[in-house]
Amino acid sequence: MKKTFKNIETILNKSLNSIETFIQSHPKVNFLFGALFEATDGLIRSTKDTAKNPPFIRSSMDVKQYMGGILAALFFGWVLPAIYFYGFMCVVPKLIVSFVVGVFVVDLIWVILAREERINEGGFVTCLFIPAFLPPQAPLWLIGVGAGISILFRNILGGVGHNLVNPALFGRLMLTICFPTMVVSGWQEPSIDIPTIKSLMYGVDAVTHATPLIAFKETGETASFFSLMFGANTGSLGETCRITLIITGIWLCVKRIANWRIPVAYLGSVFVISIIFSLMVGKTAAPPIFQLLSGGLIFAAFFMATDPITTTYSQAGKWIFGIGCGLITVVIRNFTSIPEGIMYAILLMNLLSVPIQSIIQKIKYRT
Amino acid sequence: MKKAYKKGFNLIETYPVKFSEAVILVKYDGPVNNFSFSFPDKKVEHIIVNLCPTEPWALPNRVILRNATHDFLDKLEAVRTEYFPDSHCHVVVDHLESNLVNELTQFKTQKDWLSIHTMEAVYPYDAPVLIVKSILGLDIAFGQNTIEDGILILDPQNVTGIFEYYIKETEFNTRLIPISGTGLKDNKILKVKPGTSIKSMLELYVRTDIKYRVFLDGLLNGTEVKDLTQKIDWSTKNIIVIEERDYKTPFPYLKVNELLFTTSLMGELRRCVYCNFCDDICPVNLEPALYWHCYDRGEKHKARTYALEKCIECGLCSFSCPSKLELLQVIKECKSLK
Repeated sequence: MKKTFKNIETILNKSLNSIETFIQSHPKVNFLFGALFEATDGLIRSTKDTAKNPPFIRSSMDVKQYMGGILAALFFGWVLPAIYFYGFMCVVPKLIVSFVVGVFVVDLIWVILAREERINEGGFVTCLFIPAFLPPQAPLWLIGVGAGISILFRNILGGVGHNLVNPALFGRLMLTICFPTMVVSGWQEPSIDIPTIKSLMYGVDAVTHATPLIAFKETGETASFFSLMFGANTGSLGETCRITLIITGIWLCVKRIANWRIPVAYLGSVFVISIIFSLMVGKTAAPPIFQLLSGGLIFAAFFMATDPITTTYSQAGKWIFGIGCGLITVVIRNFTSIPEGIMYAILLMNLLSVPIQSIIQKIKYRT
Repeated sequence: MKKAYKKGFNLIETYPVKFSEAVILVKYDGPVNNFSFSFPDKKVEHIIVNLCPTEPWALPNRVILRNATHDFLDKLEAVRTEYFPDSHCHVVVDHLESNLVNELTQFKTQKDWLSIHTMEAVYPYDAPVLIVKSILGLDIAFGQNTIEDGILILDPQNVTGIFEYYIKETEFNTRLIPISGTGLKDNKILKVKPGTSIKSMLELYVRTDIKYRVFLDGLLNGTEVKDLTQKIDWSTKNIIVIEERDYKTPFPYLKVNELLFTTSLMGELRRCVYCNFCDDICPVNLEPALYWHCYDRGEKHKARTYALEKCIECGLCSFSCPSKLELLQVIKECKSLK
């Protein structure tokens, strides 16, 4: 077994080497497909760069592992539960469309046409976000448009490392502007019985008209916390099963891929501020625990707000960032006609993180 | 998460280096530089002797003590009474070595000039700035000679050297130098006469089937030896030979151990992703990525407004950076800007 693996490895290594020399010796081929080859090669083999300056050894953590961790967390956090609740045929085609349009069409064309740098795995993370915050019955073309806009926007800004705002949320914002009814309809009842092959393939075919947050706006009823926690309630595809999101989110924080300060500040401030609002205005404000467990708050706090590039660099700034997100979320949810305010909160705080960073830096080093 | 990642890094855990027991004398017939120690002309108030190396490739203290801690302490006492009579000695040991700590505390009961300190063997806590800060509570600047503040940091080997050469006036012309790394067949401790070339020291032990590179005084902030005929002197601490991985390895995520102790960058060069790894690991609470952002924008002079002078150049920021940025190099460049 080990020997066959070793043989396959040698053959693979040799053929990749010969492809590499072929591409590098033909400038025109290199112009078109060089970046593509480097991207695939980078997934299979390590780089040949060695340390030229001290320190001469480096830790084994690299950006690939970093992004791989986020991908794994998203897979176990929302893809698997969504397949259970809404069926294979509801989730997987959306993922395929999202990846094909986002990574394999837009990113690839961009790399071939405009950018010299290689494609990187950040695109997969963005494309995995797109279906998660759209309703289960959103049409496939909507997902494709969202993924395309997100990746295009990210590439225009300069790729991973230069994002001003979270590209996935920007894509969702564009969808909200262009197709306002599509992103807030098409909610589906999850299948909560003992799973059968049919339910795992297709889910249950029952359409509802409201998520718990919309229902609360209209009638003032709150859903049971248990059903909210374990996903037996309506909502966007990726945000309903909160328990797995919390577990994988905590795993990300432990692995130090997501900074724990942001989810703590975000969730904590939502809790505290909604207590204050409940005391001030009484029943018209949603109760604190319902606030925490409804909508995409858990998903956003652990996965979207913690996108490292769009927050401040300073650790103290991360607290301010999280608290700001919490404040805006609660205000939008309670005092406007929009049921869900997370997208606006995070996008606004992404923009505000630039001045927050400069203020923190000034306080820290100029006093 | 392991405590290792919070402010400093436990290198010994990540890169375990086992030296073979025996100390081997390297044959050399050329001219030998005799031992010399430049005694400070200022009054010494504190002597710090560090018996707790924080780097796995550094000389383990068992070789110096040789199961005779009292002998070593007697030598230290002799050196102190002869040359630094009014000073106070601080001996630093690893808190895990309870036997050594016991022996030292036993010895200490009769002496009031000696004090024992324990610390965790976490890199870079034996750097002069940090060791002075943790033992004496004094702030000294990086690069400043500690003698200015009346503090003498003595290499344990130099204690023996001063004792043998200046007090006993016997011949003292060998130095213990540990050699280690993935480029060697075996990790050894060599007894070398200064003046020996690095090449003749290593020729019996290097692996011939691979490419290797040779480094002096630690991998994180040491220097590379380009010319192997370079000679050992009395300040050489250790030699590391590691494998040069300048080719691509398939499926690196399955072979982390194979790549770990080599010169491989272990990842692609990327942009800074604001992951906060560098300021989490920084032992002096700086934010190295800020210097990178300044450098990236072409504003090198601006980097100095962010407390750049506090940096002790330990190299942990570049070590832990997942984007593989050359942070230490950037810091040095920004510092050298006048």
